[in-house]
Amino acid sequence: MRDLRVRLALRFAAFVVCAVWLAGCANLIGSRASATLSAAILDQDDPLLVESGLPAYLLLIDGLIKRHPDNAPLLSAGAQMFALYGSRFADKQHAIALTTKARRYGERAICAEYEPACHWPGIGYDDLVAQLAKVDSKKLDSLFSYGVSWLANLNATSEDWAAVGDLPWVEAVLERGLALDEDYQNGAIHGYLGILNSLRPPALGGKPEVARAHFERAIELSQGRDLSIKVEYARRYARLMFDQELHDRLLNEVLAAPAEAPGYTLFNVLAKQEAETLLATSKEYF
Amino acid sequence: MRRASAWKPMDVLLRAALALALLSAASVRAADIKIATVAPDGSHWMEQMRGGADEIKMRTGSRVTLKFYPGGVMGNDAQVLRKIRVGQLQGGAFTAGGLAERYNALNLYGIPLLFRSLDEVDAVRAKLDPKLIAGLEQAGFVSFGFTEGGFANLLSNEPIRSIDQMKRKKVWVPEGDQISFLAMEAMGLSPVVLPVTDVLTGLQTGLIEMTFASPVAALVLQWQTRVKFRTDLPVSYSYGIFAIEKGAFNTLTPDDQKVVREVMTRVMGGLDHTARDDNKRAAEVLASSGVQTVSVNAADVEGWRRTVEGLYPQIRERPDVDKPMFDELSAVLADYRKSHP
Repeated sequence: MRDLRVRLALRFAAFVVCAVWLAGCANLIGSRASATLSAAILDQDDPLLVESGLPAYLLLIDGLIKRHPDNAPLLSAGAQMFALYGSRFADKQHAIALTTKARRYGERAICAEYEPACHWPGIGYDDLVAQLAKVDSKKLDSLFSYGVSWLANLNATSEDWAAVGDLPWVEAVLERGLALDEDYQNGAIHGYLGILNSLRPPALGGKPEVARAHFERAIELSQGRDLSIKVEYARRYARLMFDQELHDRLLNEVLAAPAEAPGYTLFNVLAKQEAETLLATSKEYF
Repeated sequence: MRRASAWKPMDVLLRAALALALLSAASVRAADIKIATVAPDGSHWMEQMRGGADEIKMRTGSRVTLKFYPGGVMGNDAQVLRKIRVGQLQGGAFTAGGLAERYNALNLYGIPLLFRSLDEVDAVRAKLDPKLIAGLEQAGFVSFGFTEGGFANLLSNEPIRSIDQMKRKKVWVPEGDQISFLAMEAMGLSPVVLPVTDVLTGLQTGLIEMTFASPVAALVLQWQTRVKFRTDLPVSYSYGIFAIEKGAFNTLTPDDQKVVREVMTRVMGGLDHTARDDNKRAAEVLASSGVQTVSVNAADVEGWRRTVEGLYPQIRERPDVDKPMFDELSAVLADYRKSHP
């Protein structure tokens, strides 16, 4: 469950929450509040603290969405925050409920900005690809939230064949996002596409070399500061291809790197924990 | 002193002999059985196999360790067989067709349009599986039961409801599957041989117009993105085999062999039974992905069957077909049909 990296745009999410929540008292607190809050979460080096604190924000964003049901940025923030909490901090059953909610918010976010997307649930693959081609970069935040929240939900429900069936659709959404802005969130979309392309072995139609290129590019665009990319690269690609040298090198790099990096500290702390677990089972696996 | 010095070399020799004996006993007992599979790590199949391996390790006091190479990293069936031959691997999870190179009776269940229902499959497998497993063991592989892959259905971009709609359509046939090639030709189709990984591109470019797979396989291979119709007819039956090379298996002590047989037979039995629910669910998912289910009218199905059954004498004479087993299978099926009209 926790192994699918759902690294989210908390900066963006927190900004939206603050912007709407604090709209009435903006004069008192000022625009710096949102930046301070987002930094407090993303730069936090104590995942337990975030785990216990985040539910308050989930309740808050739920309430705000009730009041502003068609607000795309708010829905995007809801999709991403629920996906984050569901994929990183919840148990199996709860994760399904939380990420399902995330996915619904993601669907509503893109629907609020692009009317044809309101009919995407259940759409055929070719029709989706054709309509995605018309989504422009102004809608990228919503498109990204839609794709990432869907992916988090598929991961939580991966025992159902529906999750396997949906993978090409999610990949198409993320591919469009990448075409609109490769550098979005410092290469985060490359990271997700790296994961998607390393889910299947070559014998079953997988494209590990495509995965490898995505992971390498994600590392380059984040200037190596996002340690969770290296962990997924090791866990997904290196294990799939039985490349122990690459696996151990990536994970040792993660352990040697500082966790503190503006905007990445929380995920880097989690990445280091995962790197230790993966390294401990390296000998047994390879 | 003299006695002592006389005994010293003997003592050293004895100790050395003892150490060598212990060492060789340890190397026989601590068997590391390396197994290749295309199943990805983390899949249900791998979880069950790893669970079985843990139990074996525990019950044999770590003398038997199954080490897996998942995700097809060791190559396809033919490559895995080559690696087993040179001792680099000791076992693998194969497709029936892949292992038929060693024991060709394994091909029989996959004859196109052979079975009409899963009930027929159950009736035949109950009688013939033990014989096939025994035959495979004689051919050098110890197996612990087969796991169902299920019935493959036709998948196409145009609805296929009758034999006429299939005429001259370009259909995919897996590499090395001569029997399917013959059957497809007899039904008026144009078979195109491709590796399974090229089918998606083949459908996209029009190199092929039809393919076939079980619902689960279709989803894993993502064919639902390139086909619009699934003809709900059991075209051919597929199954997988987990087998360990007999020489490697025989290095285990009889007690350890018993443990491996007991545990892996149970694991394979469990996997065999989950396939039906998986395919049922996968068929629903295909439908919700926009792949419409179509049925063939009964008269046409009969026509196809007669056409393919007309090929049986020709199939029976092929050098890659086990004649006695083919006859036995035909007899079991005929008996079943007589008692289940």
